[in-house]
Amino acid sequence: MDILASFSVFGSTLLSLLSSPTNLMILMGASFFGIIFGALPGLTATLGVALLTTLTYGMDVNTALIALLGLYVGAIYGGSYPSILINIPGTAAAAATALDGFPLAQKGEGGRALGLTTTASLIGTLLGILVLVIAAPLVAQMALQFTSFEFFLLALFGILISGTLTSPDLVIKGWIAGLIGLGLSTIGRDPLQFFPRFTFDMPDLDQGLEVVPVLIGAFGIPQVIKALRNRESLGVMKQFGRILPEWKTLFKNRMNIARSSMIGIGIGAVPGIGEDIAGWVSYGAAKNTSKHPETFGKGEPQGIIASETANNACIGGALIPLLTLGIPGSPPAAMLLGALMLHGITPGPMIVVESPNFLIEVTAILVLCSIAMWLNGMFLAKQVVKVLQIPASIFLPVVTLMCILGSYALGLNIFNLYLMVIVGVFAYFLDEMKYPISPLVIGVILGPMADESLRRALMVSEGDLMPFIERPICIALISIIVLIVMTKAPFYQQCKKSFFSLFKK
Amino acid sequence: MKKIITTLAASVLATTIATSSIAADRYPERDITNVVVWSAGGGTDVVNRMISAEMAKSLDVNINVTNRPGGVAGSLGMSYVKRQKADGYTLVGLSESVVGSAVQGGWDQKMSVWYPFIVGGSPDLISVSADSKYTTLQELIADVKKNPRSIKASAGGAGSIHHLNLLALMNGTGAEFNYIPYPGSAPAQTAVMTGEVELVITSLAEQQQLIKGGKLKPLAMLVADDQALDGFGTIPSAFKAFPELQKYLPIMQAIGLAVSQDVPDNVKAKLTKAFQSAMGSPVIHKWAKDNFYVLSGLSGAEASKEFAFLESLFSWTLNDLGAAKVSPSTLGIPKLSELK
Repeated sequence: MDILASFSVFGSTLLSLLSSPTNLMILMGASFFGIIFGALPGLTATLGVALLTTLTYGMDVNTALIALLGLYVGAIYGGSYPSILINIPGTAAAAATALDGFPLAQKGEGGRALGLTTTASLIGTLLGILVLVIAAPLVAQMALQFTSFEFFLLALFGILISGTLTSPDLVIKGWIAGLIGLGLSTIGRDPLQFFPRFTFDMPDLDQGLEVVPVLIGAFGIPQVIKALRNRESLGVMKQFGRILPEWKTLFKNRMNIARSSMIGIGIGAVPGIGEDIAGWVSYGAAKNTSKHPETFGKGEPQGIIASETANNACIGGALIPLLTLGIPGSPPAAMLLGALMLHGITPGPMIVVESPNFLIEVTAILVLCSIAMWLNGMFLAKQVVKVLQIPASIFLPVVTLMCILGSYALGLNIFNLYLMVIVGVFAYFLDEMKYPISPLVIGVILGPMADESLRRALMVSEGDLMPFIERPICIALISIIVLIVMTKAPFYQQCKKSFFSLFKK
Repeated sequence: MKKIITTLAASVLATTIATSSIAADRYPERDITNVVVWSAGGGTDVVNRMISAEMAKSLDVNINVTNRPGGVAGSLGMSYVKRQKADGYTLVGLSESVVGSAVQGGWDQKMSVWYPFIVGGSPDLISVSADSKYTTLQELIADVKKNPRSIKASAGGAGSIHHLNLLALMNGTGAEFNYIPYPGSAPAQTAVMTGEVELVITSLAEQQQLIKGGKLKPLAMLVADDQALDGFGTIPSAFKAFPELQKYLPIMQAIGLAVSQDVPDNVKAKLTKAFQSAMGSPVIHKWAKDNFYVLSGLSGAEASKEFAFLESLFSWTLNDLGAAKVSPSTLGIPKLSELK
């Protein structure tokens, strides 16, 4: 199909969708609920798409897609609200946003942070869609270069990078937190040979630790305890800040935006991982290329833009392998696959042949969804900033209640409540000793992938480690990992210092 | 006094029996709920939504389909339905994968508590990547027999129906593959495309897009019949080249629904009649053809026999793999040899 025909399909789809008031209402509604889902700790994009799927059964395909994609885009964006306002990421995807978003909110620029987030998310989503349309086959081919070896290194890289970026004092503390997370992720029956590990004959531990209670416990509980102890409100609102897009700031960040989008799309396209680590990697890239990396973590708008652009760009990326190969690129995309099957659409290489307009229609719907997200965001950001004015004595119990509900809502398992509290108290003490919490959570999320992929890779190579240095992507990943570790080692710093001092003399 | 109480009790009892049998006669008086034990959009869910809609036509009430996934192999949904009153107003939508729930500690019941109806399933097949040197199953088997375990195979998760098909293929041909477990069918198929493993066994419904798109090359169907596939040609049955396979295969998916075995007989009869007329509907036939499902239509005792076979096969295989928490013998699940 030539470009002109694509455009006309795109235009006519947009028009036909916009001309129906029902569709518009569903679009705005789904986007709104998505944002709420993302913002409430414990309710994730994956859960939202799963719940909505059943409700879309009676709708026609396009309307169902509007609802599902609207919710997906909204939820990925919505996670940034609690990250910025109360330093409790609503989803793991938004954890990197908290690093600079919360300091900004504490400085009284919460409104500005939310405004930047909203527009960065819109730009990220749109760039992701653009790549989905023009380069889907190419990116899908790239995704097929990832085998178990690469998956292991990628997971390891994700944990290391979040450890490197979040440590308040010593980098090694971030890595230790990551290792603790990795350790926690080994609890349960191992997925390859069913051996029960650290289950102590408790049936609740058999399936391993659920991510959501760990996430809520680790991020939420320490924050609540700290606020109670210091008898202070969670943030302040001195000035409202500008919610509308700051074109100047965004223009200054054009390279940052382009780079973060590419990172987001790439990570989204790799099957199995997605938003959760895209934010971290792009944040790291932004920090390392910045002229003033020392301002990161203290309220640097660049950091927010990097992580929010990347996690929303992931959506387009994750849809690429889904629509071209039938392989979901991220956990919410896996839910979306189920929803498509429900409507009689089997995504895969034949979709271009069997329904040539489908990809363009999805693109049109995604564009609408991102605009709806932006509009809703502009409206909501103004309102949610006001939560900072609520006295802590009222707000904290509400946050605590949300944490409890969020942990329990998933699977209605009382065990998850105990888990949340234990992890929360543990995380509080780690936090007091200046250990960062994010790497621990990322470790729990990526741990199963690291563990399973490494062992499967060794099964495939029959114990041979050579593929790690024979496969091109492996070499690249190993080099980056070694570089990350080396540059932070005291030995390296010493060498660097003495090397430069040679020239000074 | 005592007499009065006895009479009263007797009459109450009599009325209860009478009303319940009248209730069963009048069945269905209100909407029926079908609780699917897997999440929305999966094969079991889609099949149940369709068959429920068709059955509703002849029962003249709505059948509302809900999802209650979770637990171990669908145990949450199954225990929920089992706890409901056995009046035929709550059905359970299930598939062959739930038969392993008991040995994996999900619940403590055997499949014989259900009165099942089997809609059908998609047949399994063995495929290699599009650029593989193998064009027939014979070449592949001959090669691996020369060098046992030299060829890597994927087949969904360990203990899944596809894994059972791979084990049966190995038993029936004497070939020994190196099995690499993946978390599900999609990652297993991707592993063939990335070149991580040489072959994959999953269902035709799951592979058809990739075959037609030229990403996978099918070698043989693991059922008795050849399969025609538009845009590809005919995929031969493995049974012709290896007649020995008939002893171990086919192991087919069994997607369908069930009611508690305790519901009154005339309710069972009404459901069976509605099920059979639904199975004749053109909607179901068209869907099955488009999605590469083979329809079964078994119900009652025959369907129970099929589930007993699958239960024995899955339970003892999971036991051998070390995945069973409860021994099949404790649950009273016979071995396959004892079953026949």
